[in-house]
Amino acid sequence: MKNVRLALAGALLGATALAAPAQADVKIGLLGGVSGPIAAMAPAMIDSAQLAIQQVNDQGGILNGEKLVPVVGDSACNPQNATDAATKAVNIEGVIAIVGPHCSGAVLAAANSVAVPAGVVIITPSGTSPEISKLDDKDLVFRTVPSDDFQGRALARTLLERGTNKVAVAYLNNDYGKGLAEAFKVEFEDKGGEIAGFAAHEEGKASYRSDLAELADGGADTLVIFDYGDGAGLTMLRQALENGFFENFVGGDGMKSDAPIKELGAENLTTFTASSPVGAQSEALEVFNEAFKGVGGDPDAIFVTTSYDAAFLAALAIEKAGGDKAKVAEALRSVSDGKGETILPGEWQKAKELIAAGTDIDYKGAAGDHDFDELGDVPGVYALFKVQDGAFVVDTEMK
Amino acid sequence: MEWIGLLNYAVFMAIFICIYGLLALGLNIQWGFSGLFNAGIAGFFAVGAYTSAILTTPEADGRIGGFDMPVPVGWAGAMLLAAAIAWPIGKICLRFRSDYLAIASIGVAEIIRLVIKSEDWLTNSARGVTNIPRPFGDLPYAQSQLAYLALVGGVLFVAYLLVERQIAAPWGRMMRAIRDNELAARAMGKDVPFRRLEAFVFGAALMGLGGALFAHLNRAITPEAIDPMVATFLVWIMLILGGSGNNRGAILGVAVVWVIWSFSEILTDQFPPEIAIKAKYIRIFLIGLMLQLVLRFRPEGILPEPQRGVSGKKDS
Repeated sequence: MKNVRLALAGALLGATALAAPAQADVKIGLLGGVSGPIAAMAPAMIDSAQLAIQQVNDQGGILNGEKLVPVVGDSACNPQNATDAATKAVNIEGVIAIVGPHCSGAVLAAANSVAVPAGVVIITPSGTSPEISKLDDKDLVFRTVPSDDFQGRALARTLLERGTNKVAVAYLNNDYGKGLAEAFKVEFEDKGGEIAGFAAHEEGKASYRSDLAELADGGADTLVIFDYGDGAGLTMLRQALENGFFENFVGGDGMKSDAPIKELGAENLTTFTASSPVGAQSEALEVFNEAFKGVGGDPDAIFVTTSYDAAFLAALAIEKAGGDKAKVAEALRSVSDGKGETILPGEWQKAKELIAAGTDIDYKGAAGDHDFDELGDVPGVYALFKVQDGAFVVDTEMK
Repeated sequence: MEWIGLLNYAVFMAIFICIYGLLALGLNIQWGFSGLFNAGIAGFFAVGAYTSAILTTPEADGRIGGFDMPVPVGWAGAMLLAAAIAWPIGKICLRFRSDYLAIASIGVAEIIRLVIKSEDWLTNSARGVTNIPRPFGDLPYAQSQLAYLALVGGVLFVAYLLVERQIAAPWGRMMRAIRDNELAARAMGKDVPFRRLEAFVFGAALMGLGGALFAHLNRAITPEAIDPMVATFLVWIMLILGGSGNNRGAILGVAVVWVIWSFSEILTDQFPPEIAIKAKYIRIFLIGLMLQLVLRFRPEGILPEPQRGVSGKKDS
């Protein structure tokens, strides 16, 4: 027994010694679901965050010309791996701020058990659960993606304004789908709409015809789908079109994916609209799109804009805080509070000079202005998109 | 400074090893000593985690409770409810032989997972339960981690001692007899179904306790944590690797798997980022490879089950 303990301790120490970090760069953690259920989405999100870091390094580096180094951790979309990755990033790599994790459950665990107690700012680009707002986070947890509450409510109001008073709602049974659907339902019914069908579905099934038939029984001709356009949402949309269960289709931001257009054809999607966050200054979005295309990325991939913004904001905050971990949260609020000189995506050099001169700056990101409220949430600006000439174009602004 | 960071990380890993150690001990009682192929560990883990979460959180809207009880009550409740749920499941499923039991238990665990994921009034469904109090959670980071480690380490140690004692007792001998030759055991007048049920319930209680310790560590529990991959099959790999039928082997297996899992990532992170992201999959490969090697060259696990009473003298 003693030998076992010794061997174990030896293995631990040996392995830790191997892993000692070598350089004194400024490190920032990028935690994402590299393996696990969102493995298909994660690489693009991490790439866009790395684009921000690359821009920082290309334009003079951070603080006194030091390099900003990303530490990629695999949070695998579950709390076990997320806490492991976050603990590693904070303790072994000594990161100053964390971008990620990607899934809400992973964010809750990583924030509660590591980031908040250790005083490290955590900015998630895709954790949309309203529970994240409720965290007792000492003002260390932020997000660049709006809480599902905002989008669901905004979509409900927009549909009612457009004269759609009766809908059926199908949502993916996870925190994303559920959060959107619940918020949508509350607002829609409050404002006098009628929900004629409301049902969760599991992902990855071959057929959703029975779910659709049940939803269609309520008599609504509009189906609202809160799901992912390259997953079950696509199957659902296809089967609903094939069997004529509904006439109009409305999706959340997860549905605004190229997959339905490619798979189903734009000509079949004339009655399909999807809500999605848009940058308040579309100029910022264009700048980002160009830059991301330049490094071979797909700017329409889901959550790439929020990931980019999270990483760029983290860099700005570190610069503003002078590299002091304890001041990053405060600095993060001050670089994006809607006051000061406007900074667009990629304008690192300009931002750096302004910060050095003591001028107040305000980052306008690709995914929105990111004026954090007291909970570290962003309100988000949405538009309803329709399909035209094989691509999504803005149909209506949403309020 | 760096050494402090490394120590902090080692403490964190030790906490995880203790929590998964409880799961592996529970499985060892079921599989290692009693031959019950339980593939539904995640289900009991989840019951324990959510029970303790609901019992100890402050009052919350939209779901049952919280009842704001002290943490030890939550942990006891987690064990009791996991055991209580294991009882009817065992009553029905334990009549199946090994492989059928595996299928039935996967099914039960999936049912539990889907109920937890879907029932708002009970578990706040997909959003999970937050605001779970953590013992010593108000201390600064490093101290709080150390205190929690002491706590879970103590719990694991006590559980280990109790299980060892039970296995060394006549009860343990009887369970091994049932495992190795059910007919002979029955001919000796042992009530086989009842004894198996005992082992199943006992193991499930430990799994429930592991779940509770995990929920309090993270101050939150969400359905993502009860994914069968990380909460069932990983535990199986740990037990088979370490040596089923040996409690020290079970805990060692947990340590080996976590160490491979964690430190292979630290090593792959030394590559440039583009490769490092892809290289993360090597971790899954390494654990699979390790399992293959152990099964090929040491099928009884790293620390095999002690051969009790073979020579008549070596028995403990």
